[in-house]
Amino acid sequence: MKQPQYFPCGLNRREWLWDMGGGFAGTALTAMLAQSGFFAQHALAAPTNETNPLADKEGHYPGKAKSVIFLMMNGAPSQVDTFDYKPTLEKYAGQPLPEDKEYINSGGRKVGYLTPNFRPFRPGGESGLLISDYFPEVRKHADKLAVIRSCHTDSHAHGSALVAMNTGKTFIGRPSLGSWTVYGLGTENQNLPGYVVLLDKRGGPISGLPNWSSGFMSGTFQGTLFRPAGNPILNLEGPGHITPAAQRSQLEMLEKLNAGHIAARPGGSDLQTRINSYELAYRMQAAAPEAVDLTEESDATQTAYGIGTRPTDEFGRNCLVARRLVERGVRFVQLYSGGGHLDDTWDAHTSIEKNHGQHAAEVDQPIAALLTDLEQRGMLDETLVVWGGEFGRMPFSEGKGAEGRNHNPYGFSMWMAGGGVKGGITYGETDEFGFAATVDKAHISDIHATILHLLGLDHELLTYFHQGREESLTDVTGRVIKGIMA
Amino acid sequence: MLSVRFAVSAACCYLCACTSFVRAAEPVDFERDIAPILLTRCVECHNDTEASGGLNLTSLEAITAGSDSGVTLSAGHPEDSYLWQRVSDGDMPPEKQGQPQTLPAAEAELLNQWIASGANWPQDRKLDLFEKTNAVRGGRDWWSLQPVTSPEIPAVDQLSEDGNAIDNFIYAELNRQNLTPAPPAKSRQLLRRLYYDLIGLPPTAEQLADFEANPSLTAYEQQVDELLASPQFGERWARYWLDLARFAETSGYERDQEKEYVWKYRDYVINAINEDKPYDDFILEQLAGDELPNRTEETVIATGFLRLGTWNDEPNDPQEYKYERLEDMVHATSSAFLGLTVKCARCHDHKFDPIAQVDYYRMASCFWAGPIEPRDSKLLGGPTSEELGVDRVFGWTDLGREVSDLHLLKKGEAKHPAEVVEPAHLSFLPALAGPFDPPAENATTTERRLQLARWIVDEQNPLTPRVVVNRLWQHHFGAGLVRSPNNFGFTGDQPTHPQLLDWLATELMKNEWKQKPLHKLMVMSATYRQSSLHPQYEDHATADFTNRYWWRANRRRLDAEAFRDSLVTASGKLDLSEIGGESFKPTIPAEALEGLSKKGAAFTPSPRDAQNRRGLYIYSQRTLLDPLLMTFDYSDTTLPCAERDVTTVAPQALALLNNEFVHSQSEELAKRIAAQSDDLDNQIELAWRWALGRNPTDTERATAREHVLAQRQEFEEHEESELNIPLFTELPQQSELVLHLRADRGVELDDDHRVKRWVDFSPDGHDGIQTIATARPLLVSSAINDQPALRFTGNDQFLELEGQVLDDQHFSIFAIVRDENTGTHREIFSNWNGREGNSTTSVFLGSTGAGTIRLSDDFAASPPYPDSSDPFLVVAINSQYDASIILNATHEARKNSPLAPRNLSTPYVIGQQGNIDGEFWKGDIAEIIVYNRALDDVERQQVEQYLMQRYQLTPEVEKLPPNLLALASLCHVLFNSNEFMFVD
Repeated sequence: MKQPQYFPCGLNRREWLWDMGGGFAGTALTAMLAQSGFFAQHALAAPTNETNPLADKEGHYPGKAKSVIFLMMNGAPSQVDTFDYKPTLEKYAGQPLPEDKEYINSGGRKVGYLTPNFRPFRPGGESGLLISDYFPEVRKHADKLAVIRSCHTDSHAHGSALVAMNTGKTFIGRPSLGSWTVYGLGTENQNLPGYVVLLDKRGGPISGLPNWSSGFMSGTFQGTLFRPAGNPILNLEGPGHITPAAQRSQLEMLEKLNAGHIAARPGGSDLQTRINSYELAYRMQAAAPEAVDLTEESDATQTAYGIGTRPTDEFGRNCLVARRLVERGVRFVQLYSGGGHLDDTWDAHTSIEKNHGQHAAEVDQPIAALLTDLEQRGMLDETLVVWGGEFGRMPFSEGKGAEGRNHNPYGFSMWMAGGGVKGGITYGETDEFGFAATVDKAHISDIHATILHLLGLDHELLTYFHQGREESLTDVTGRVIKGIMA
Repeated sequence: MLSVRFAVSAACCYLCACTSFVRAAEPVDFERDIAPILLTRCVECHNDTEASGGLNLTSLEAITAGSDSGVTLSAGHPEDSYLWQRVSDGDMPPEKQGQPQTLPAAEAELLNQWIASGANWPQDRKLDLFEKTNAVRGGRDWWSLQPVTSPEIPAVDQLSEDGNAIDNFIYAELNRQNLTPAPPAKSRQLLRRLYYDLIGLPPTAEQLADFEANPSLTAYEQQVDELLASPQFGERWARYWLDLARFAETSGYERDQEKEYVWKYRDYVINAINEDKPYDDFILEQLAGDELPNRTEETVIATGFLRLGTWNDEPNDPQEYKYERLEDMVHATSSAFLGLTVKCARCHDHKFDPIAQVDYYRMASCFWAGPIEPRDSKLLGGPTSEELGVDRVFGWTDLGREVSDLHLLKKGEAKHPAEVVEPAHLSFLPALAGPFDPPAENATTTERRLQLARWIVDEQNPLTPRVVVNRLWQHHFGAGLVRSPNNFGFTGDQPTHPQLLDWLATELMKNEWKQKPLHKLMVMSATYRQSSLHPQYEDHATADFTNRYWWRANRRRLDAEAFRDSLVTASGKLDLSEIGGESFKPTIPAEALEGLSKKGAAFTPSPRDAQNRRGLYIYSQRTLLDPLLMTFDYSDTTLPCAERDVTTVAPQALALLNNEFVHSQSEELAKRIAAQSDDLDNQIELAWRWALGRNPTDTERATAREHVLAQRQEFEEHEESELNIPLFTELPQQSELVLHLRADRGVELDDDHRVKRWVDFSPDGHDGIQTIATARPLLVSSAINDQPALRFTGNDQFLELEGQVLDDQHFSIFAIVRDENTGTHREIFSNWNGREGNSTTSVFLGSTGAGTIRLSDDFAASPPYPDSSDPFLVVAINSQYDASIILNATHEARKNSPLAPRNLSTPYVIGQQGNIDGEFWKGDIAEIIVYNRALDDVERQQVEQYLMQRYQLTPEVEKLPPNLLALASLCHVLFNSNEFMFVD
């Protein structure tokens, strides 16, 4: 039994005796500080313990995917110009959408005529999956993709639809998909956040924080914003004069103070938990910058992702960081393409060609490189890659002779790859105009149920008790899309 | 970690319910054997309002009517009865969430016997889903819905002599559980606990020492009285209510509009608590302050409660959105005042509580008469000032005394309206049930909210007083007597001390709903005053780990606001001078601003001094909550929050170790200490006293001394290594330098000492030229700290630059200037030429009459603007990722996207806007440096350093000497300690 060495701070005899039964004084930090090299090069696997809500845990059944990379095309790409080929639009070009098709004209914008795809579609891979010329590089991976052409959602407005794509409901305040995932499965690497969000430099998504919030769950499950360079998260580095040696002195002194404090408080598991959290924080200071340090990657890899060349540099970095995070055991990574509003996102009201031309050029090569890289490293089977926007776009132009398209929540395409998904297939259909999902409709809650399922989580059993009710991501809806399972 | 809570509670109840099923060999009795089965297993889906499959199992008549599938019951013949067929096939009850719900064999057997024996059903017996609590749901007999009793105070033998009635209840239960209370807390621990509890701030070392010297109950009581009377009490306790009321100052969603004047609601709550406004009035005012006969501006401000929820100006379907808004108001009202989850009955009868679907709509009908229809989005879903009858108030009112019908919605969907709802009291309290009265003759509103509020505060409504005294208990002791403070229903927790709860509720009503006497009663109890440590900790923790019986006090971690306030208290900067008023915006790291979607909407923090107010006054913007508060479990603000999470996670440790605010407070404390004493031993003592409220022990002194000395050496070495960075005698960055004008060289003057040419020292040679004599600025030899500069009168003076300066969209501009604010726009460097069509895409750097710096039309920033007498360095950088403006190498404003593409081809000028001959600079320009690329942070800092040194400008960042930094390091460690963060 270790005697309290520091600061008995006026313990009376009785307290002294209790302490004999309570010996806590954390020693792990000392041990770690004693290790050679203050900043360990690679993160150690943190000791897991049952009080850690983010401890790696089993799902409801063995899942094919261990982690998710969600490529969020903020602003909403047009399905008929990317993954949902509608040759009939050629035939109907210049005609209005038939009157029996009801829809909300988002923002009261101009309504033009049916307009065919702006770039041609071509078959890709052995499957011959049709993908347009906005995504020539992704097309090379056609045999890996399961394109869900029958997605639909509950709002035509970016703010609510983004929140819906992330949380299942159009109103803010509910936990996001990533939060549900880490709530259900924890995360493998305790030195990094389990749920990471990489934003576009142009800005955050509309509605901001609620898109990665943990809502009514503990904040532990909230998404952590990551910058793809330098210090990726807040509070990783103090002011300049706090050198590693200075911080070491601080931690040593802190440990002594805390040891004296806890020694006088038997049963202080809350105190011990906090002491432990400093060890983890200390490791995160090294692990987080290491995870985004792309200098560890070969030139060939960087070039493949389009790093160092416009316009792929930014999204390429994010994709490569995403791979590194997943490789290090991060459970859920969401990447935004597009930030802010209008043409800074995929929100192509004025010109599909100009807008999608720009944004697709930014992401096509990086996404293709990500798929290649994951495959080559044998990670694709365990990593579910999801691509999509918050809704789709109308098959008609925004005004007569115009080249943009308005919002469309009634039908749009998403795709998934890896992580237990069958490649080279399409699932579901929209009508002949590509306007609304008709066959095998896939509501966003179905998408969510499917993602959870691939991770080994049953969307009906994954519940969180809040305000008298077992809440779930999909609420009373949601259906696993079996048709895309490998 | 997956929640198993409901499964467990249901299983427990189920075991109890089952006991009635295991009687043997008696004839089947409907009331005893069959009614519970039907109520528990069947009636949920087969009742008057919802008759699944056309089958209604609530009465003899209904059951005789059969179902869509034919005869339900064939008396004497189970095999011919559809009911039995479905049950024996295992189809009914149907599976739930993939889990089979097959009837237990004993129940099935009873059912079979009942049918076989003639299916006797008493003639007038009607089954009511809500009549009785059973294994799966609560009925109207649920504990929380029963009248509040006035329990006798239990007699207890070994009572602490200075305790009160609360202790009788607690000790009686401890005795029953074979547990003993902890000894009294040490006086310092007790006082510190009391301070944080009542005012959210720590006591001073002197206050602690005084109390330690005289820890009598009288002295303690005096402290209690003082704290309860202090204005900080309201500030502390208002926070709990604001969490419940889902208080925030913006709407959320895309535009996240500010809810102007909503801070007055926050002040209303603070004042109500400080004045000890009776709780019934507090409720009446928040729900119906506009309808009260004695209505005042204050009571109208209180109705802001109803409007605090998020508000979406662009919902998918504005007509459907009305019903989302109703749900928000119903949920906030029923959670906050009743501790019930009424909102669960929006789509169907409540699954667990006796709340009929129509009850949901009855409550919703109270809000239906307000501005719920889609209107001008500028109103943020509320009334106009005229409708409200007061100006500059964020409140709620009905839009008249008549209102359209509200329909009950099938499955809660706007598309499926059912019958019209008659406004009425909720049905689960039969004694108070009944329809609302029509509004009084002279009423201008429907008076529905007034009637709802009066029903809530009726002394026969048992929920209201129980819920509120439970909240008081919860915040004083760390957990409620009912541990689900917003859910007194079936899925909530049952009270650990039901008698005590009722006794407290009765006391509250006896005190005419005043809460301060209850606060005092609680904190005066021996239970409150006991230690958080217990001599038989192991045994007691084994028996009752979560301390449900209060055998010790709960140790608690500081919440977000108390943590922040404690730092600012220690640093000596806490500003308590004003109670209420507009909120302040904290300094938020640029990284955290990246989550915002709004272009150019740089978040402007309040001046540093204003940030020394309490954390309660931090502006809560729903799309951007303060990251430091968030790290420490700040409430989410979208839903009523009765209890914040208390997490202990690594990001908190990272914040305490590295966060700029925490460091700044450490440095402030170090300065405060150094101002008092320059003796290290004294300084160490002061650090302990101001951070932890006590003197250090000898061991601590020694360790602290060692730490400070080691850090001092470390910081000295660090400073030296920084000094070793060479001073820049030459401009440190040359790559892509496209313009370098300096007033001490290359200035060609005319006879009047005016500048006709300013030679560019960059390789590009963009000289500045002025051919018109009167338009030439003067060269002043000693203008900026003894250095020359060109002086512009603000009147038609400028220089034209030769050639195209920039050809890359990413660029950096540095200028040393002095600015006489003329109250209008004025430019330093510009290529504006509206005729060339670049009026909105030109590049210019200048300032505005509003005291902001502008980098073109896209980006205006308002760093603290220098006086006209103070020269300064302004830097503007447009990079691939963002744009930033930095003043004096200190104040940085960043826009999280670059400027929209600029037209770079039009002519460039110094000292005015461009070809419009306007926006002339008034003041001095000593040097301008432009790069045809974005400098990174390190490069930018080098150039800044070079210029700041040459012009003897000092960055406004105060850099402390190593000895102070070392002391700050010690303070910083104390802030990080568990002793600082936990309250015993």
